[in-house]
Amino acid sequence: MRGMIKGASVVAAVMLAIGATTGGALAADGIKVGVLLPLTGSQAKFGEIEKRSYEMAAAEINAKGGVNGKKIELLFEDDTGKPDVGRSGVEKLISREKVPVITGGYSSSVTAAAAPVAQQFKVPFVICTGSADDVTEKGYDYVFRVNPPASEYPNAVKSFLHEVGKDVKTIALLYENSAFGQSSSKSFEADAVALGLKIVVKEGYQAGAIDFKPILTKVKAANPDMIYMVSYVMDASLLMRQSKELRINPKMFVGGGAGFTLPEFAKSAGDASDGVYSATLWVDTLPFPGAKEYASNFRKKYGSETEYHGAEAYAAMYVVADALKRAKSITPRDVRDALVKTDLKTAFGPVKFISYGKKTQQNKLDTYLVQWQKGNLEAVWPKSVATKKYIYPTPHWDKRK
Amino acid sequence: MDVFLQTLVAGVLKGGLYALIGIGMTLIMGVMGIINLAHGQLMMLAMYVTFVLNTMGVDPYFSLFVAMPLLFLLGVGLQKFLLNPLIKADTILPENQVLMTVGIGMALTEIVRFGFTSDYKYITTTYSNETFFLGKISFSMALTIAFGIAIAFTVAMFFFLIKTDLGRSIRATAQDKDAATLMGVNTGRITVITFGLGSALVAAAGCLLAPVYYIFPDLGGPFTAKAFIITILGGLGSTVGAIFGGVTLGLAESMGATYFGMEYEDIIGLTIFVLVLLFLPGGFKRLTKV
Repeated sequence: MRGMIKGASVVAAVMLAIGATTGGALAADGIKVGVLLPLTGSQAKFGEIEKRSYEMAAAEINAKGGVNGKKIELLFEDDTGKPDVGRSGVEKLISREKVPVITGGYSSSVTAAAAPVAQQFKVPFVICTGSADDVTEKGYDYVFRVNPPASEYPNAVKSFLHEVGKDVKTIALLYENSAFGQSSSKSFEADAVALGLKIVVKEGYQAGAIDFKPILTKVKAANPDMIYMVSYVMDASLLMRQSKELRINPKMFVGGGAGFTLPEFAKSAGDASDGVYSATLWVDTLPFPGAKEYASNFRKKYGSETEYHGAEAYAAMYVVADALKRAKSITPRDVRDALVKTDLKTAFGPVKFISYGKKTQQNKLDTYLVQWQKGNLEAVWPKSVATKKYIYPTPHWDKRK
Repeated sequence: MDVFLQTLVAGVLKGGLYALIGIGMTLIMGVMGIINLAHGQLMMLAMYVTFVLNTMGVDPYFSLFVAMPLLFLLGVGLQKFLLNPLIKADTILPENQVLMTVGIGMALTEIVRFGFTSDYKYITTTYSNETFFLGKISFSMALTIAFGIAIAFTVAMFFFLIKTDLGRSIRATAQDKDAATLMGVNTGRITVITFGLGSALVAAAGCLLAPVYYIFPDLGGPFTAKAFIITILGGLGSTVGAIFGGVTLGLAESMGATYFGMEYEDIIGLTIFVLVLLFLPGGFKRLTKV
């Protein structure tokens, strides 16, 4: 009985202590920042990486004194990957939570639905990932985008082909038969045609197949100079392993999806991953301040790898904090005016919201070409950021050591 | 011509593995008259056994000797304690044993997810990426070995069913359960052994598939569907039929992928399934009579 009383009093003390700390945090005047991300549903894996990156950045900023002495308080809103849920999430953040600024936006369709809401209520929306081109083509003055739009993703591949891979004339295009795979392959096809390249094989496949040899046999018979693949990680691994089995020898293998840059790809494909290129928006070896530290801190804190989506989110948090610091007051209007004048070096690259082409308030960034070399992902293009020289053309399978 | 031959080889090699997956299902279906909708999940479980053993340095092919007995025991347990009691239970639905297998499949998937998370696991061996060539046609080392082992198991199964007493009892139970009981066959025991055997065979398929594929908890469903198609193609309860069914499905998928487009892979398998149901309701068994 006495034990129980003692136990109860300990519990009470602990509860008091917890109550005291949370009460204290609430009492301190924080700045609410709304974050729209897919935290459940099929995109939740990337939503989680981004959420953790936002939290990491916010914790770092708060540890250094926050925004002019005030702590940043993140309010996450789950869009579940659905545009309508995303829309009402933004409405909720604006009307109920009265946030002065919103960031996030993972999928293109959710971002495209959420941006007009932010514009209508005149609350600045700093997009970190949603990449549909037209979001920044509508002249919205409250919508900003940190990441490059989708049409610019293969820029590095294009410039590489223009300057190095001049002898690439024919292309085989393999893609996962999903919305993502179809749209990516379509836009790459348009780019390839614009560059004067010929598509000799174009094949969709069902994700999760065991045997890709039928389509790879077709690719081998067509003998293209380049194979461009839009695949998720395990399909990517099988595609490369079976390309090796069939001894398909194009001048370059290029991955156009996130699957080809993940560490699991190289680990499961083994030596078949060597020499494979991939388009990407960011790698931790890029010479940006804090890029390396971000990746290693993330690994230390969460015990898993991050990738470009995380870096986008991490940088977006710093962009928002920077604007809040410079804003005359913490109102949507003043924060928006501060965002316009953003000129910040982040772990994801320099951020400046400019207008070009049809786009307004869009950050212009390079995209990169990375290559797996002996199990390490090396940045190889553009030359200014290269960590290793590219290996081109990819050596024949039989001539590898 | 090269394209055709390469497609043929790919289809037959994959078909061998399919046959092994189908044979366990057809055995259970023939003897007990129920569809085991946890079949793919049992294979998934065997793949995780292979994976765990592999992290301890055991070769995937050697883990056959661990995974098969383990899954045999699991199958025996499932039949004895979960499926057999349902025969006696009075319910509105006569198919409650089938429903039970669905439940078992779900439970297996979620238990594995709980233990290993949804992340993809993979096994890399020195021979995972090895190939040899006959002329211009490449053969994957791992798939060829798998094909050989699958055929060996299938042939062994065939002779076991034809030549041994236990095999004859199983066939007798499959043909007429009541008559078999009257002739002194302990049909209760036979169903338990059959479910164990079926599980062990699909475990073998899992061990062989593991080095060339990857492993995740939700992998069972699609393979249950494939096993079902193979069984219907081959005819219920026929081992020879399962080989035909497996190789037919493998070939159809490969040929379809090469000559129609790989996005239609599943559509082609299911179209053949419907055609067989319409025009050859007993499956290939009707043609071979074995």
